[in-house]
Amino acid sequence: MEFDFSPVIEYFPTLVQGVGVTLLIGLAVAVMSIVGGQIVAVISLYTRRVVSWPLRFFIWLFMTTPLLLQLYFLYFGLGELILIPAIVVGILGLGFHYMAYNADIFVATIRSVSDGQYEASRSLGFGHIRTLIYIILPQAFYRALPQLSNNMIIMVKDISVLSAIGIGELVYVSQYAISVTFRPFEFYITIAVIYYLINLMMEAGQSWIERRAAYRR
Amino acid sequence: MTTSTDTPMVELKGVKKHFGDLEVLKGIDLRVDRGRIISIIGPSGSGKSTLLRSINHLEVIDGGNILLDGMPVNRPDLKGLAFERHINHIRQNMGMVFQHFNLFPHMSTLDNVTLAPRRLKGMQSTDARELGMELLERVGLADKAKAYPSSLSGGQKQRVAIARALAMQPKVMLFDEATSALDPELVEEVNRVMKGLAEEHMTMLIVTHEMAFARDVSDWTMFMDEGVVVEANTPDRLFSDPDHERTCHFLRKHLGSQG
Amino acid sequence: MDFNLMIDITPLLIKAAWVTVDISARALFLGLFIAAALVALRTSRLAPPRWLARAYISVIRGTPYFVQLLLVFYGGPAIGLRLDPFTCGVMVGAFNIGAYISEAMRGAIESVDSGQSEASRSLGFGRLATLQHIILPQAAGLMIRSIGVLAIILVKNSSLVSIISVVELTYQAQRLIGSTYKPLEVFMLSALMYIVIIYAVMGMIEFLYRRATRYTYR
Repeated sequence: MEFDFSPVIEYFPTLVQGVGVTLLIGLAVAVMSIVGGQIVAVISLYTRRVVSWPLRFFIWLFMTTPLLLQLYFLYFGLGELILIPAIVVGILGLGFHYMAYNADIFVATIRSVSDGQYEASRSLGFGHIRTLIYIILPQAFYRALPQLSNNMIIMVKDISVLSAIGIGELVYVSQYAISVTFRPFEFYITIAVIYYLINLMMEAGQSWIERRAAYRR
Repeated sequence: MTTSTDTPMVELKGVKKHFGDLEVLKGIDLRVDRGRIISIIGPSGSGKSTLLRSINHLEVIDGGNILLDGMPVNRPDLKGLAFERHINHIRQNMGMVFQHFNLFPHMSTLDNVTLAPRRLKGMQSTDARELGMELLERVGLADKAKAYPSSLSGGQKQRVAIARALAMQPKVMLFDEATSALDPELVEEVNRVMKGLAEEHMTMLIVTHEMAFARDVSDWTMFMDEGVVVEANTPDRLFSDPDHERTCHFLRKHLGSQG
Repeated sequence: MDFNLMIDITPLLIKAAWVTVDISARALFLGLFIAAALVALRTSRLAPPRWLARAYISVIRGTPYFVQLLLVFYGGPAIGLRLDPFTCGVMVGAFNIGAYISEAMRGAIESVDSGQSEASRSLGFGRLATLQHIILPQAAGLMIRSIGVLAIILVKNSSLVSIISVVELTYQAQRLIGSTYKPLEVFMLSALMYIVIIYAVMGMIEFLYRRATRYTYR
């Protein structure tokens, strides 16, 4: 067995581009799933059953089925209804998937905060909505941070799955390079190393965030 | 393991221990003859618990020697499994009672008591059962043999823990603040069991913050502060007429608050 | 909703769901042994085995399962490792989940109060006997629950072996969506099957959990 990493070097600009797309998708999904997750959590906790139950059903459905199956459904299902680019389908798919997981976390932290803080705040004369916005949600957010950042670290690894619906992230662009150079081992090892480095950086970021958030809890 | 009766049951020579930069034991000497009851008092952080735990090798000392009935507890010459065998043997001859009981929650009280004799001495289960019931009887809990620790009160838990420690027929019993975690009304039942042991001439080392009990039960009391033995004397003498200012200060604070 | 179609494709999906169960069960079984070996290495008295285990766990957890699968299946032949798709799915699944399970095992063992091990050691029990009689029985409940969460992840991850053309549930679903142009019907049915599998796993976990923690109810 002989390894030849020169094709990897040759295609390095392509890989960099793939990493760029991966990170952009990650950012978009992180924003969507965290903001959306919080909204979904609030709605499912504080609205009538007509609204909250269907929402909880979707959280549950996204959490009990595989991401890839959801992606296929969105890709072929939405693709049939409207013409949208695959990358939008990918971001929506991953976004919904992790929105469900994040909403699940927010539901738990909002409940844990409101146990004592809700009455304290109401007794100061804050209304229900103000209590939620000024007192409960900020604290719930800081309490959720460790688990949220965990989810985001897992999410970035799942971006690789988007290659299955033809989105030009790192794995997909490498698969093209592999089909030309016939060097799968070298390319996949390189992808693994790149992902490992991204993961290390995210873990460093996570502990930084947790240190800072510790003051606010 | 037969030793002459004048060999001290427990002997400490220049025992030193530090946690990082903090010196917790600064060279402790102690001699406990068989059948003697020693109480160790002192403020928290004085090193008294560390001293007791060192005798059981739950803390590894950094200098000095500890002997149990003439046998060295620390054996820097033994490594790995050989040391493991040695220390297990040493520990089987000591009974340790912890502040937080540390009963095994997944076993009935009877199983808690009989586990060691069954597994370590290979005692038959009928014999072990008999022994276990006898010990539970002795601490007044024979009716709780089938109960699980979670259903017992703190005082009952600690009595079971004492029975468990007695099951290996130890040469010495070590009590590490055995009543500190108990509600005040439950302290007495545990103290009664300990007094019972004293009357049977069990060798005991008792770390406690209950001055009245220390005075009542022990025949030698050590006052420790900042890793040294400030003074040691008969309890009558130490409690009524201490030699050192630090002892006075400590006793004033503690006897005062206890009323 | 096209109910006739749903009835028609059900047998195909059930057959595929069985492959999903099969591949996940085998990977979990193997993964438990890998995890136990990793825990043993991590608690070794010697440093090199500890480093090895830590490095392995870090690399497995730090890279996507999907990339691991592609690397072994497509890159494997370059180093003389030729596996058929099913075996590849089982092996990669097992080596992947094993790293996570070993962390769950370690976490459960560390969750047992240190006083328990002190009490056992003070009676004269050695390390192994303490682990066997005192620590593991108390860690079992938490261990079972964490492994259960991982088993569910394993089932969901098994969908990715469709990419290396193992005909499991997601593969079959994708094919049927392509041939019937009825994404909603196919999705509903295959989602239902995943849900049934996952709830069966959860039921088993709950049963084992109750057995392992019976002493807390007495």
